[in-house]
Formats: sequence, C-alpha cells, structure tokens
Amino acid sequence: MASTSSTLFSLCSSFSAHCKISPTPSLSKPLSFTKPNFASSFKLPQKLAFSSSPSLPQSATVPKVSEIDAPAVAEPAATQIVEVAKEDEPKREEIFAVVMVGGRQYIVIPGRFLYVQRLKGTNVNDKIALNKVLLVGTKTTTYIGKPVVTNAVVHAVVEEQGLNKKVIVFKYKKKKNYRRNIGHRQPNTRVRITGITGFENYPAVTLDSIAKSS
Amino acid sequence: MMNKKEILKLAKGFRGRAKNCIRIARERVEKALQYSYRDRRTKKRDMRSLWIQRVSAGTRQHNVHYGHFMHGLKKENIQLNRKVLSEISMHEPFSFKALVDISREAFPGNRHIYHRPRKVDMSSMDA
Repeated sequence: MASTSSTLFSLCSSFSAHCKISPTPSLSKPLSFTKPNFASSFKLPQKLAFSSSPSLPQSATVPKVSEIDAPAVAEPAATQIVEVAKEDEPKREEIFAVVMVGGRQYIVIPGRFLYVQRLKGTNVNDKIALNKVLLVGTKTTTYIGKPVVTNAVVHAVVEEQGLNKKVIVFKYKKKKNYRRNIGHRQPNTRVRITGITGFENYPAVTLDSIAKSS
Repeated sequence: MMNKKEILKLAKGFRGRAKNCIRIARERVEKALQYSYRDRRTKKRDMRSLWIQRVSAGTRQHNVHYGHFMHGLKKENIQLNRKVLSEISMHEPFSFKALVDISREAFPGNRHIYHRPRKVDMSSMDA
C-alpha cells in the first residue's frame, strides 16, 4: 500500500506503466518510450497497445535532447531546444475514470487512446460521449458510482476504425483427418479520450475522510 | 498455414529441427496452434484468477476477506469488475480503501475478523 504521503496519482508514470492504454504520441520528439507492459499480454479480451508515458521520462528526455544537439549547436540554441522539449509535454489532467464500453470496463485518463469493440455508426473524427462511468477519481476525491456516477460523461474522439491482429483458429482432431484453418480479425475502434466531466455533484469520498477512518 | 514458408514462419523459436525442417515443423506448428486455440479460452480463466488473488491481497491488508468484500460490493450495487478492481488495488490505494470501507459497512460479517497467529521464524532463536 502506498504511503500516506503519496497522492492518488502517486505517479502518472507508474499508473501508465500498468494501464493498458497508449499515450499521446509526443509531437516533436523522435524518441519513443515504450515500457513493456506485463499486464498487456494478460488483459483479455481487451486489445492493448504498448503503454508509454511521455510524462514519465521528462527528466530523461531533456538531457537526451540536449546531448544530441549540444555538440553540433552553440549553447544558447541548446538551451532553447531543452525548453521547447519541456513545453511540448502536454499538461495532463490528474483524473481517471472507469468506463464501460462494449461490455468491457476500462480505466481511462484524458489524453490517452484506447482500443474498444467496433462502434457501429460512427465515423473517424466523431465526438463520442461515454455515459457508463462507474468510478471517477481525482487526486483528492473518489466518486464511486452505484452503479453509475450520475451525469458523468467521458468525452472521446474516434480516431481509427480498424481490425485487431489476426488470430489463427486451427481446429484439429487426431486420427480423423479433420483440420480446419480459419483466420479471424476482430474489428475494433481506436478512441482518444479528451476529457471527463459531470461528476462534481455526486457524493464523493475524500482523502481526509479515508485518513480519518483508517 | 497453407505453404511451407508460412509454417516455417510460425515455427520460429522452436527447439531443434522443428524450426528448420518442414516435416517436423508442420507437426509442431499444428500442435502449437491447437494449444493456442485451447489457451485463448484458459487465458480468460487465468486472468480472472489472477485478478481475484490481487483483490484478495489488497482487501486482506485492510482485514477484509475477498468473499465478504465482493458480497458487500454487490449489495451496494457497485458493478466494477475484477480486472478494474485489481488495477485500483494496485495503483489507487485510497480509492481502494474507500471501496473496502463501503463494503465493510454493507456486510456486517466483516466486523468479526479473527487474526491468525503469525508463524514466527524459530531459526533465529537459541537452541
């Protein structure tokens, strides 16, 4: 259990390391950070992308960028590049929600994308509102829905409608000359989460009340 | 899995001749595909079992048994599934404590917790 001094979002990075959804690809950085996600192979039937956190190696990227550019460029330019790299990091809202989509539940944070079951009738760049929000958590409070947090909405944008990786369904019966080889690609939709709203008026559990009860 | 090239591609990482020679590779690849068919179904079971173990470990830190915890949640009509509960128990300890408290109130059986006497390591004591 995390120490009492750590907040709900003890590390956006550690959360992202285990969260199965992918982050915003950073705009200007050529470097990509992927953390092998042990749970990604486990979580079924969710299709997962590698989780990488641009927010975590903020300290790590900055020296990398400066190392590459410093020998080639004069020093004032190097400092400029460092600053630009820092500013490019999008400020992420420290909030998460548990949302139910396509019969499955996902932990969702704004700015990340998510593969869900194919949403029929939507097109690319459609704005989507996900209504079944089961839990919302911020740094200081948690809103636990019974079963749903009323009026809470997770806003998302449909990015891409594609297919999952091919799965070979091979059926075989021994000594009976029975072999069937079928390939299967499940349709999915990639959806990017833009924001979580509407949960403020719900009875919440705050950090102080938990600390008191423990 | 029609021609030799595809089979040998699927046979990457196999042991010995099974990755190189088509006759042996074909058998091994067929077996591998059968296993994958079977294990796509067992994966779901294994994952659920893992999540339950994790949630159980999390609740026992708060002196609540897994069964009582889930009973309390169902009574309160909280429909979070085990996958999400296991993630919350790992990364959001305060939210998880809130859930445990809710469940504890909903299920009175939680109040009577008997702590088993912990085993003490005798090797450090003098003979």
